[in-house]
Amino acid sequence: MRLKQINIINFGQFSSKSFDLPSKQINVFFGANEAGKSTTVAFIKQIMFGFHLRSNSSPFFEDYTPLAHVSPMGGSLIFEADDSEYELERLYAKGDKTKRGILTVKKDGQVVPESLFFDQIQNIDGSFYADSFIFNQEMLGQVSSLSQEDLLDRIYYLGAADSGKLLEMRDGFEKEAGKLFKKTGKKPEVNRLLKQMEDDRDNLAQTQAEFDDYEELDRDLTAKSDELKSKQQALEKLQKRAQELRDLQKELGNYQTLLDLQKQVKDTQFDSENYQKAQDIMAQGRNLQKTIKSLKEQLADLDNNNQADLSASKKLVQQKSQLLQWQAEYKSCLQKADELKQEKEQILALSPDTKQVLDLTPEQIKQLQADYLALPKQENRVEAAANSNDKLWYVIGAVLAVLGLILLVMMGTVGVIALITGLIFLGAGYVKGNNANKQNAAILEKQKLVAQKRQGFGQQYGLNPDNLDINNLVANANQYHLKENAEKANNEQLSQINQEVAQLAANVQNMLKKPIEDDFSSVLSGIDELEEKIDHSQEIGQRRMTISSALKQDQQDLKELGLQLQTLFVQANVKNMADYDAVYKDSLEQAKIRTQVEALKKSLNDDLTQLTKTNPAELEQQLHELNDQIAAANNEISDLQQQNAQVQVKLNNLADSTAVFEAKQDLANTETNFESSSKEYLANLLAAKWIGRSLDLASNERFPKMLKAAKEYLALLTGGRYVDLDLGKKLTVIRKDGKKRDVKYLSRGTAEQLYFALKLAFVEQIKDEINLPILIDDSFVNFDDNRIKYIEQLLRRISENNQVLIFTAQENLVEKLGIQPLTFTKGNQNA
Amino acid sequence: MKFIHFADAHLDSPFRGLSFLPSKEFNQIYQAADQSLTKIVDLALKENVDLVLIAGDTFDSNTPSPRAQLFFAKQIERLTDQKIQVVMIFGNHDHMKKEDLLVTKTPYFKLLGNGEKVETVTFETKDGFAYDVIGFSYLNNHITRDMIPDFPEKGQDYTFGLMHAQEKAQAGNVYAPFTTSEVQNLNYDYFALGHIHARNNLSEDPWIVYPGNIQGRHINEMGAKGCYLGEIDEQTKKTTIEFKQTSPIIWQAAEINLEDEIDKAGLQSKIIDALNQAKQKTYFSLTIKGAQYLTEEERELTADTDFWQTISQNSPFDSQLVDVRYETNTSLELNENDQKAFEKAKSEVFSMDEFAKIVNDWKKKDPEAAVLAEDPKFIEEVKQLTEVKLMSKLKGIKDETETN
Repeated sequence: MRLKQINIINFGQFSSKSFDLPSKQINVFFGANEAGKSTTVAFIKQIMFGFHLRSNSSPFFEDYTPLAHVSPMGGSLIFEADDSEYELERLYAKGDKTKRGILTVKKDGQVVPESLFFDQIQNIDGSFYADSFIFNQEMLGQVSSLSQEDLLDRIYYLGAADSGKLLEMRDGFEKEAGKLFKKTGKKPEVNRLLKQMEDDRDNLAQTQAEFDDYEELDRDLTAKSDELKSKQQALEKLQKRAQELRDLQKELGNYQTLLDLQKQVKDTQFDSENYQKAQDIMAQGRNLQKTIKSLKEQLADLDNNNQADLSASKKLVQQKSQLLQWQAEYKSCLQKADELKQEKEQILALSPDTKQVLDLTPEQIKQLQADYLALPKQENRVEAAANSNDKLWYVIGAVLAVLGLILLVMMGTVGVIALITGLIFLGAGYVKGNNANKQNAAILEKQKLVAQKRQGFGQQYGLNPDNLDINNLVANANQYHLKENAEKANNEQLSQINQEVAQLAANVQNMLKKPIEDDFSSVLSGIDELEEKIDHSQEIGQRRMTISSALKQDQQDLKELGLQLQTLFVQANVKNMADYDAVYKDSLEQAKIRTQVEALKKSLNDDLTQLTKTNPAELEQQLHELNDQIAAANNEISDLQQQNAQVQVKLNNLADSTAVFEAKQDLANTETNFESSSKEYLANLLAAKWIGRSLDLASNERFPKMLKAAKEYLALLTGGRYVDLDLGKKLTVIRKDGKKRDVKYLSRGTAEQLYFALKLAFVEQIKDEINLPILIDDSFVNFDDNRIKYIEQLLRRISENNQVLIFTAQENLVEKLGIQPLTFTKGNQNA
Repeated sequence: MKFIHFADAHLDSPFRGLSFLPSKEFNQIYQAADQSLTKIVDLALKENVDLVLIAGDTFDSNTPSPRAQLFFAKQIERLTDQKIQVVMIFGNHDHMKKEDLLVTKTPYFKLLGNGEKVETVTFETKDGFAYDVIGFSYLNNHITRDMIPDFPEKGQDYTFGLMHAQEKAQAGNVYAPFTTSEVQNLNYDYFALGHIHARNNLSEDPWIVYPGNIQGRHINEMGAKGCYLGEIDEQTKKTTIEFKQTSPIIWQAAEINLEDEIDKAGLQSKIIDALNQAKQKTYFSLTIKGAQYLTEEERELTADTDFWQTISQNSPFDSQLVDVRYETNTSLELNENDQKAFEKAKSEVFSMDEFAKIVNDWKKKDPEAAVLAEDPKFIEEVKQLTEVKLMSKLKGIKDETETN
């Protein structure tokens, strides 16, 4: 679309100002500064897209408010499109609700919906127009902030559906990719991993030195082991030598001993047989002396024990027969006493009445006899006595019979006789008893009369007159008194004997010097003892004789031995046995020395000659030195062993080390992470590229085409100095020589040329969809003549498709373009 | 005669993608390769084999850690003590000097082809069966030329080839590139290869065999790992081989498919079901197909290692979820114009050149990035992730538009 006419009613400093644009291609507006060029540019833009009456910040060319006192504000533009004409009139009156102003669109004089016009330009908005079609100093200054995004945005606006969202998505992917990797950067994941991979590789390279280290250590160990072995061998040699020297030294000692011993050897004669004899004699002598001493002692003993006078003892011993006789007498006296006692008892037993009369005097007895004889007689008294006699028969018979039975068993005939006698007694007893009993009963009655008299007698004497045989009684009593006298004599004899025995016992006791009871057996045994003592004493006398003679003999022998010994002493030339012993000891010592000498000589044998030449001090010195060498060698060896151990430890550490694997694993892990992060990065990057490329394709590749055109224009505008440009995140240009330049390092002129190249390429690219006039407001001030020539060429090319309106204050430019300019008259705006 | 063939023990090599595991679990993993090698030696002793062939890359680098070296030496000693012949070559990782090897000197251990020279050795089994082993060791990490022409003609004995190399197919192959037909033409009875970590028989008559590595170390080394146990009929010289698994841990892929949006509980139980297939201790890489149905929150959840740990808690054999990948299973439905634009843009953006350009800044930063930028697997994963991200976002827009 081409602008044919501009009618300003009220806008800026203008009131009722009109321009008729003569050319469909390039129109030039010339005016001094502040003449209203920029106002006109703003007017064209705002009539199409609305007034800018907002209070917020706004691009420069809208940076003023309409004059308050003029109303209405606005005007109209007349466009020529293909075969019709559009008039756009926009007016704003104070109080209007919309601050954009009220637009009226007329097509060929008829009011039509505004879309009819805006559909022709793809319904772009004011900023699209301003960014794409208007050039001025301020915008040129923004060249460095030009980005692909903005351009793409505008370009894709004409292409794919949802292009905005796709672009957003593309940007999202790009942003994600950018987070993961930057061409120059450290922080993004992939960059970080790149660095880490390098580090890991370095680390791995270091660990791989392990192998060399191991080999070196191994070599070191082998060398050290060899050294150790040779050192140990050397040590062994030294030790062997030292041992030899020590042996020699030891032998030297022996040799010295030999010499000493040899000095001690004496030429001595010693008759050991004689010495042995002397020894024997001495022994014999000692034995004899012992014997003599013992004999003497025995003698002394004998003398001591046998000094008592035996004659008294002998006298006592001679009384032994007397004693035995006493004993016999004593026994018979005792027997007699017994017999007398029994006889007395027998008398009393046979005649109990005797007891009643024993104490009666002979006169009393005579009285009794007289009293008794005066008593009346009683008949049965005899039978009763007989009766008691009968019983005696029985007793004797029974005793004899029993005795006979016993004897029968023991002695035969004597027994038979005794038995028969007994039986006879028994028979006789029986016959007598029977006769008495028959007479008794007849006389019982007569007896009662005499009983009274008789009772009185009984009471006086305690005797029953019935059975009293007075004569017998008196005889018995006499008999009894006789017996008592005999007993008395007997007792006197006993006491006599006892006295005698006691006397003897006292004598024996004196002799034996121990208590002796004065009974017969004790005295007898005491006498026996004395007898023994006497025997013993006689024996000792015998022995003393024997011992004395032995003693004499022994003393004689001892004397002889002394003589023999003296002879031997003289022979051995010694004074006594002690000397002789010393000589003997000496001879033993000599023998020992000689044996030692022989042994030493034998052991030294071969070395003897060498030893005679060896100097002990030198030997000591040599040994000392050798020991020092050995100590040194030992130190070296232990040193080496320690070193070896250390190397071994290092080797073992290396052998166990998983450092290599770990380093490799670390690297592999990093590489894996790198791979996955890279995958993520590349997927994002490629997704962005994919979307971008899809948009290109969907928008008929306007963007690549535009870039191509822009490059061409840049080359044209810079006279071929810059041949390429790169529109990434940052805009860079490439010089003919291939060097890249950031826009910020370009000269102002070149930067503006770049801006033109890009924007014009863009406009050129969208011309089939959006074709509006290009407004260039005083944009060549930084251009020299050459540059003006180049831009002129370009603008002429562009203007074949798009109308170009150049607003300038540069007269030379107007001249160069050779176009009659439309002019602003200063101070005459309202004309 | 019996023999064992293994390769690529890569002792001391790290595991990838497991750094989040608790240290106790990780210690097990760390010992897994050692355990696998120990098991191979156990097997050799149990089977009383005559020969053990080690086809390179025993160590992960040419300066292996003393620990790894001593461990290996100890295992070898177990074999040589039993008079089992061991023949070993160096690969591109352990391109070492023979002297640097800490294995005890014994006639039963032979480092073959030191200094990249093809060498032939002849041995006899205890029963007097003679065999040749022919091969070479790496001295440098690359061998650019085909080494097969250096291999001599087969002699009368049973002949083993031993080589650490890669087939020519791919350009820029610097691992003694060869063709299968060349090796077949040599007609060795058994050609023991190393280098490729996936088990593979290039040929069965004659045998040309990659045993794979002995323990998978990351999700791209899936399945059972171990060694081959071979048995030779000494009369006919016919060879049969049997794979023996020795790796204590295997890596496995699992997959769930989403047909529609799903709530978190449903998602979790679907994942647990998928992991229940473990037959031994397994590390799972889970691919969620239809990931565009996941909400942003669900996607973040499923990418969270803590969530993996929770999921793994009840897995059989103490198995672990260690990797989650996302794939879309539908294409976007946009208006015709936009749809076309998106399809076209996708093919453009992911074209080799454009992709290279886009990732260039990143790729230049590190050799690891450079490797990844060339890795088709990585590119595919990035592509899938991009798609998932974009589709879930676009779905958002679409939903919003529809609800509006």
